[in-house]
This record gives sequence, structure tokens and C-alpha cells, in this order.
Amino acid sequence: MSSNFGKPIDAQKPSVVSPAAAAIISLVVPGLGQVLAGSFRKGLVLLASLTSIVALWYWRVRLVGRLEPTFPQAVSKSFYLQPILLVVAIGMIVTYLWIAYDAYVTAKRAQTTSGFVVWTLILFLFFFLGWQIGDIRPVALVRDAQDAGPFMMRILWPWDRAISRPEELLTGTVKVQTPCVEPVPELPQEVAGEPYISVTPTCGDLSKQSEATGTTLTLTGRNFAPNAETEIWWQDDMGNEFRQRQAGEYITVMTDENGAFAIDIIMPYRTIPQSDTREFALWELQARQVASLGAAEPSAELLISIEKMVETIFLGMMSTFFGIILSVPISFLAARNLMSTSWITLVIYYVVRAILNIIRSIEPLIWAVIAIIVVGLGPFAGIVALTVHTIASLGKLYSEAIESIDPGPIEAIQATGANWLQTVMFAVVPQIIPPFVSFTIYRWDINVRMSTVIGLVGGGGIGFVLIQWIRLLDYKAAGIAVWFIALTVTILDYVSAEIRARFV
Amino acid sequence: MLEIRHLTKIYDDGTVALRDVNFQVPDGEFMVVIGLSGSGKSTLLRCINRLIDPTEGEILWDGVDLAKLKGDDLRNMRRHIGMVFQQFNLVKRSSVYNNVMAGRLGYSPTWRSVLGRFSPQDHERARQSMDRMGIMDQAYKRADELSGGQQQRVGIARALMQEPKMILADEPVASLDPVLAHSILQHLERLNREDGITVICSLHYLDLVQRYGTSVIGLRAGQLVYQGSRDDIRELTDEQFKTIYGEEAERIGDLTGGIKGTVGGEP
Ligand SMILES: Nc1ncnc2c1ncn2[C@@H]1O[C@H](COP(=O)(O)OP(=O)(O)OP(=O)(O)O)[C@@H](O)[C@H]1O
Ligand SMILES: [Mg+2]
Repeated sequence: MSSNFGKPIDAQKPSVVSPAAAAIISLVVPGLGQVLAGSFRKGLVLLASLTSIVALWYWRVRLVGRLEPTFPQAVSKSFYLQPILLVVAIGMIVTYLWIAYDAYVTAKRAQTTSGFVVWTLILFLFFFLGWQIGDIRPVALVRDAQDAGPFMMRILWPWDRAISRPEELLTGTVKVQTPCVEPVPELPQEVAGEPYISVTPTCGDLSKQSEATGTTLTLTGRNFAPNAETEIWWQDDMGNEFRQRQAGEYITVMTDENGAFAIDIIMPYRTIPQSDTREFALWELQARQVASLGAAEPSAELLISIEKMVETIFLGMMSTFFGIILSVPISFLAARNLMSTSWITLVIYYVVRAILNIIRSIEPLIWAVIAIIVVGLGPFAGIVALTVHTIASLGKLYSEAIESIDPGPIEAIQATGANWLQTVMFAVVPQIIPPFVSFTIYRWDINVRMSTVIGLVGGGGIGFVLIQWIRLLDYKAAGIAVWFIALTVTILDYVSAEIRARFV
Repeated sequence: MLEIRHLTKIYDDGTVALRDVNFQVPDGEFMVVIGLSGSGKSTLLRCINRLIDPTEGEILWDGVDLAKLKGDDLRNMRRHIGMVFQQFNLVKRSSVYNNVMAGRLGYSPTWRSVLGRFSPQDHERARQSMDRMGIMDQAYKRADELSGGQQQRVGIARALMQEPKMILADEPVASLDPVLAHSILQHLERLNREDGITVICSLHYLDLVQRYGTSVIGLRAGQLVYQGSRDDIRELTDEQFKTIYGEEAERIGDLTGGIKGTVGGEP
């Protein structure tokens, strides 16, 4: 039977069943009719396809209707929530029937497009299932695209976050008592150079909701920053503070060129705390200024980004470096043309190849997680992870470069009586330098890009801070990191293209 | 003297490339090997310096059976046998000088040579070899910048570095035009005559066989079907040619006496 693989229908053995029987058998077991009609492979693939489609459909129906107690209820619920599952169900029935029809025409050896139809049906069913499993919602993608706007804007233009001005809070404090009961508080001692405020009187009555306005206090200040806004704050003896408003507006006063000011304020309503009904209270009246000192300077985020970017580049570089050193000797062991001289070397070849393939199939991110367990968080874990992956991938690329070299020079050098090492140095090395350089640059490129990703799981570098900023919703800081990554990758791209053009 | 006895080569895939071949090559011969493509010429030459291990038979060279040599003995034997190839087999990206120098590897200590260091005598020898082959001016060019004829002369210079007692040349001129072919073969002929180096050379052009060979052997399907002196090949009969080259040979005009005639699969 298996000898029929890949042969056209005409070339196959005659059907062992009649067309009608084939159709009926395919109704019982889809595809079996085709098998008996001589289309062994087609029948098997049809059976496997339809079975997997039904299984996938069942799984999705159960999942969508998981709150329903019985299967039929789950079916109707899932059809209601996800009509595409209904489409698949109908498609399955059509396909099932068509497979029976196809068995009929196959047994009859008729030239029809029936096969084409059945494959198309199966393809569409897989497509619809994939659509449902992948939770594909193009409408949401288009409709809600603008939701990403604010975040994108911050990431795309984060530069106001890249500079910061050192700021200082200048505060002058004076005690005010309500109501005026002896002894009234005294004015504080003035310290030279420190912000200082005085108030007259130092006691009075608060404004009352119903009655008259409160006492008017005359507040004067000195030693503040010149020509700057000053805010008036109150703080009760329990530490609650509020900024004073007058006629609905916050009170601000500008200092003069000497950093002095004077303002009359009316004592506020007693609003904080609401429950506080004590008659007697000692308030702290404060004048506050946010003064910027000196020139703008790079923000902490900018500096960290730069630091971490440098760390990342070196992380990629060091792992490339270690990777090269280790993968060069390994690649010779993994090159078939060098290793097919005896069965021992051939065994080594197969073992090395197998190990390289296994290592390579494990993603650097997973290696990073393993490395973190061993050496802890930080750049070294990233270097270990990338080095391991680099060895495997460069080992393979290098060994393929070795395998594709021209054997002629090797033969010629061997014929001069040179030994193995001499043959490698004179006939192999000159041939593999260009591809090696090219692959190495390529890998360096990958490693620097990968090292940004490695950071996401804690392997050091810029990815580490990037993921932190994203988690803190500090999209502008994240934007700075993203910019540096993009910049580095672009430069690297250019540089590697240049080097490659030079060498190869 | 080189004596081949009962030489048989069966490749791993079962191809019988040589079947019980017996012949002798006295020292100083310029022996030409002829035969159709696939008749086993390359296999024969490569068996002699053991680039291919023969399946059976003996290769006696001055009484030593080359077929049995291993390891250092094998390498020491190889350095006395130069080899010239149809595709030149130069290391393309290396300089002409380095290619020539490679011929000296068998005589050089491993570590020094691997670091590219050779004795002053070796450097002198390299200059002489290149001078003799007329490629002195090209010494520092990359090998693949040279023309085919020049590359083959580099190949011969490399073989000369080995101070060979014998040179195996596997279709050394098949990739060259006729004028260059003569020039290359004249170089080999000079080495043969002046230095007494035995040359075993496979050729496709009949006129070249007649012009340069001092003896000839013919292979067909891995078997020795003809053996003769230079005079003999001039008198080859159609019958004899058919035994070597098969029925195809008939289609190519005046083979036996023809100066321009070619034999075998290649023009
Ligand atoms: N490595 C190999 N493995 C298997 N068979 C081979 C191998 N090399 C050569 N052969 C076969 O051995 C036979 C002799 O080949 P060989 O290369 O010696 O012929 P040739 O006379 O040199 O031919 P040409 O004139 O084309 O170079 C051919 O049938 C060829 O296909
Ligand atoms: Mg050949």
C-alpha cells in the first residue's frame, strides 16, 4: 500500500471496492473509502484533518460555553457568542459529506475537481478555527487604535523627561492661634539667609460660614527667591494642611527683587478637619516657594538610560566574544567534511551536532532565566545566556561555512605531506575567514538586540530598567530607553554592514 | 621505479574505479595516462599518493609499498610526490607566495609553519621556484587574481617546493587553452628532463600525448587496456583506440595521426 505514496490516481491499483461502497465506508469512517479505493495517503490525510478539525471545534465550543452544564447547551451558547463556530460546524458537515462523495469518485477513477474542493474546504475550516483560536478582532484593532495614542506619544517624544531642573522648597513658618487667648504665640526668631515670615497679629478668629469674615492678618516675608510665586498654606496641630483660597482662587503673591513680600490675608474657614470642633487651636501659617536652582541638567532617567545602554552594548559584545572563542573550536568538530575521516570522529560529529541543535532550540530568554538562577540577577546572567546561545548558533553557522569550502585546496595541501593542523591553517582557515567574519558581525548584531530583551527577565542592561518603567507606567522614561535602543540598533546595523562590505 | 600491482579501487558506493591494474614506471619517465572520462585516471593518480586508499593491490616505489603507509610515514612519502590539479587547487584568497610556500609544509615544524614562519632556506627556495615558473612578479597578488595559466604555474611551483622525485598531474591543462597547455606541459617536461623528476600525467588531447609522453597507458572502465612507448602511440591502430576510447572515438576524425584530434569526452 505504501508504495502508492505520491503516485497519481491513474497509476494506482484498481479500487478494491465499488464506488457506492467506498462512499458508504467513508460515511462511517471518513477517508477509509479513499483508502480502499486505492488512494491510501489521501484517505489518511483526510481522516486526520477531519478528526483534528472536529477535536479543535469541540475544544473551542467547550471553552466558550464552559458555564453551560451540558454539551448541547454549550453548543448553542457558543454559537450565540461566537457565530464563527457555527460556520465551522456547518463546514464540518459539508466536508464530511463531501469526503464520502470524493470516495465515490475516487473509486470510480473519474477525473473531477472533487479532490480540490475537499482540500479547499479543509483549508477554510482550519482558517476559521485559527481565527477563533487566535481571538482575531480586526474591528477592535481599528476602533480602539487611538487608545494607544497617549502612550505612543509619550514613548515617541519623551525628551522633556530627559532634562530636569534641581528644585528646592523654600518655606517660612509662623504660628497663629485661634481665638485670641493669652498668651498669644510669639514671632519666630529670624535666621540670617533662611526664609522668614512674620504676621500681625499672631492670633484671631477664623471666618465662619454664616457670620462675619475672619481676622485680617498682615503677612510679610523675607529671604525668599526673588520674583517668584509664593503660596500660602495652613497646617493644623495634627499635621493636616491645605492651601488657602480667597474668593475661590488660591492665594499667591510674587516676591520682589529682594525676595521679600507683604500680603493681607483673611483667616480662612475652619474646614480641616471637619469634625474638629475645638474652639482653641494653634495653626502654622506657611509661605511656600518652589524655587529652581541653577541650570537644567540631564534627568536621572536619561543618565540611567545611557548607563544601561552602554552596559547593554558591552553585554552583547562580551557574549559575542566568548561565543566566538568557544564556537570556533566546536565548529570544527561539527563540520562533516573534516570529521568524516574515521568512525570515531564521525560519532563526535553527530554528538556535537545534536548538542548544538538542542542548545540552539532553547531561546536566549529561557537561558537567561536559568543563568539568573545560577549567578543571580544582573548583566553576568545576560552574558552567560547569550554566550550559550551564541555558541550554538555560531557553531552551526561556522561549521556550515567549513562544510561548504572548496575541498580542492585541502586535497592539494594534504598532498604536500602537510599534517592535519597545517592543512587546517593553510587550506581551511583562509577559506572560512570571510564567512566567519560575516556571521560574527551578524551575531553581534543579534546579541546586542537580544541583550535588550534579556534585560526584561532580569539579565541586566537597558531592558531591565525599561520593563520597570513600563510597569510604573512611566512611559516617557520608557520612551527614552526605547529611543536609545532604536538608536543603537540603527548604528549597529550601519556599522555591521560597513564591516561586512570591508571584509567579505 | 614505481610498480603498480593488482591495484583495485572500489568506492564505498560500490563503483569499481580500478580493477586489477598492473604497470611499471621507470624513473625519469613522462608517463601519460589516457582514457575516457570516468575511466579511473584520477582515481589511479590519487591512489599513488594515497589521497585515496586503494582497496587492494600494491604500490611499490623503490621497494616500499605506499599502499601500506600510515601516519608520519605516509606524510613523509607524500612530500616527495608533487601533485598538480586540473582546477589548480590553490587557496584562492591567499597570496601566490603563501600558496607556493605551502608546498614546504611537509618539511616544516608544525608550530612554526602554522604561525606562518619558514626558514630562510625555504624562502629562498620559494623565490627560486617562482622564478623558474616565471611568476615572480605575481608573488604578492591573491591567487585568484591570476590567469588560469599563471595559476597552474603556481601549482607547479608549489609542487617544486617539495623537492619531488615524482609529480602526479591530473589533467593539468584541461582547463586551459591550447597555447597555455603547451606552456604548462613544457614546464613539466623541463622538470622531467632537467631534474629527472618522474611525471605521471593524465591528458585528454591526443597531440599533447604524442608531443610530451615518453610512455602511455590507457584505462577503460578501470582496467588497463593499453600500454606503450611514445613511438607506440604514433602507431596506434583504430582497433587499439577503440579498446581505449570505445565506439565514440570513431566519430572524431583522424585520431591516430591527428595533431588537432581530441579524444575522450572533453573537447
Ligand atoms: N568519491 C567517489 N565515490 C564514488 N565513486 C566515485 C568517486 N570518485 C569517482 N568515482 C567514480 O569512479 C569512476 C572513476 O572516476 P575518476 O574520477 O577516477 O575518472 P577519470 O578518468 O578521472 O574521469 P575524468 O576524465 O572525468 O576526470 C567513475 O565512475 C566515478 O563516477
Ligand atoms: Mg579525473
